[in-house]
Amino acid sequence: MFDIIAQTAPRVNFWSAEPGSPKLWGGIFIAIVIGVAFIFACLNLPTNYRRPLIATLTFIAGLFFVMSFVWPKSEGRAPDTLPNGGVEAVAWWLQDATGPISNITTILTAFLLGLGAFSMLRVHIGKLVKQQKDWGFSVVLLLSMATMMFIGYWDWRTVSFTMKDTNFSDPSNWVTATYAKDLVFDGILQKMDAAMFSVIAFYIMSAAYRAFRIRSVEATVLLVSALIVMMSLLALGDMMSNKLIGNFTGGAKDHFMENFTLSEIYGFIRAAFQTPSIRAIDFGIGVGAMAMGLRLWLSLDKTGGTN
Amino acid sequence: MSEVVEPKSAETKSLGEKLLSIPKPALYLALILATAVPLFFPVPLPNEPKDTAKALFAAINEIPDESTVIIQSDWTESTRGESRGQMDILLRMLMRKNVKFAICSAADPQAPEVFRNLVFKLNAERKELKLREYKKWDDWVELGFYPSAEALGQAIAADIRGAFAGKRDAPPGGDDRPVFESPVLKDIVKVDDLSMYLVVTGTKSIIIAIERFSDKVKMGGMVTGVMGPETANYFYSGQLKGLSAGLKGVYDMCSLEEVAHPGTTKLKREEQYILSLHVAIFLLIAAVIVGNVGVFLTRRSKP
Repeated sequence: MFDIIAQTAPRVNFWSAEPGSPKLWGGIFIAIVIGVAFIFACLNLPTNYRRPLIATLTFIAGLFFVMSFVWPKSEGRAPDTLPNGGVEAVAWWLQDATGPISNITTILTAFLLGLGAFSMLRVHIGKLVKQQKDWGFSVVLLLSMATMMFIGYWDWRTVSFTMKDTNFSDPSNWVTATYAKDLVFDGILQKMDAAMFSVIAFYIMSAAYRAFRIRSVEATVLLVSALIVMMSLLALGDMMSNKLIGNFTGGAKDHFMENFTLSEIYGFIRAAFQTPSIRAIDFGIGVGAMAMGLRLWLSLDKTGGTN
Repeated sequence: MSEVVEPKSAETKSLGEKLLSIPKPALYLALILATAVPLFFPVPLPNEPKDTAKALFAAINEIPDESTVIIQSDWTESTRGESRGQMDILLRMLMRKNVKFAICSAADPQAPEVFRNLVFKLNAERKELKLREYKKWDDWVELGFYPSAEALGQAIAADIRGAFAGKRDAPPGGDDRPVFESPVLKDIVKVDDLSMYLVVTGTKSIIIAIERFSDKVKMGGMVTGVMGPETANYFYSGQLKGLSAGLKGVYDMCSLEEVAHPGTTKLKREEQYILSLHVAIFLLIAAVIVGNVGVFLTRRSKP
């Protein structure tokens, strides 16, 4: 079973060891002891110690990513060589740690999927048991979820274990489990996904007709710019404007009027307004995210870490 | 007591009021017809590819034959109109050049399955055309789904072998083995060894990747129209070597490929889609104009 997730040839460093080696088993044991101790500490610590504990761990976790960003990088690292001094040793340690720590981050993020599923089940089973309003929809949701999980698991078992020697990329080799997965995943879920997304087009249409109005100078500028950008997306519009201006200029490419083709005007809007505006917004978001990140990293927020 | 206002009948309405009271179902019906009818009458439209798409086309053509790229596939059927066309033309170009690819996803758990189905379809098409099939393990491998795009990007930038160390894949009918034993990835030691890193997405995952390792490997992007303007910033800054945005981007790429290698793309399908897009945008522009003319006429007719 563990063969599925085992690395056959891991690189040996502080973070990983040879399969089955005492170092690996020792590391696993220490990690379990620390994990259990941490859980007990969180459960039994007096309330006033909890915040410092969480703040310390948050700081250590954040410190790693700050260090891997600011610490000098080591270039041309060859296998079986020793670091040249303390700075390079730390650089190597950080480099080796990035993979495992990213894996931990990925695992923690994956827990969110489980948390979401648990939360959804709790809400809808509760609704069903108490026969609250629209409980019928909860039944549909729970049944759909159970069906998808069952068929997904059945297909995975078939493809990965019971018929692993079969080439399922060829539809002529499909069996009941593959057909069932194809029906519920590709035939229903994916198509419903596409249908839901396409509904946006109707909202855009309605908004274009009812809300996109010339009410002020600013709105007029916005409207004209939007029309130019929309027209520039159309190859036909671009060609028509080129032809119109071409007739006027007699095909002279250096004519002043050549600056007024649709693609030139759109290029000007993009270079002078659109791109700089997006950059400015992105810079603002970046500075804001950094400020928020610092507050979280240094536990400056007043909430959290206590009851 | 408030005065009860009788709704005006169609005869008593002014032109401005009529223009302002087009019922929603009529608008929706017009949109359905505008997008659906052109699908049955594909007409090749004149097209001047954008500079971003030309650059991407050139960058992909510069990839050495039989080398390895990573494709980050972050799209599902919700953006299939644009993203499937993007992935389709990308894979056709890579397969033409016998470029090996490893595929990962960082935005949606459904993405690997959607991508896998597309590769199977392309392989079936190649089989019919008597072309060499792209074999799992020998020509392409799956690196799986990563729920944290930031963590994935950080790990790739630091140590690509560490980032995908635990990943295993198998040839059809064979036993699974670590992906770095496959012909696709065996020579990849650091991210610089990749010929290119390509992202096909409808989300911000491309920006997360660019911010973390665009200084180490050539990157190309294929994004939806909505993500186009924001991602274009990174093309103009030089961090992306090329960008195909939206349906126009797909049409640009297909047109360029069709000129260079006739008969190798699904240009006919893209012609259907781009015509639908044209008619839909014309309809949107018409809706904006009708709404505004209606307001103008109504205001003018008021005493």
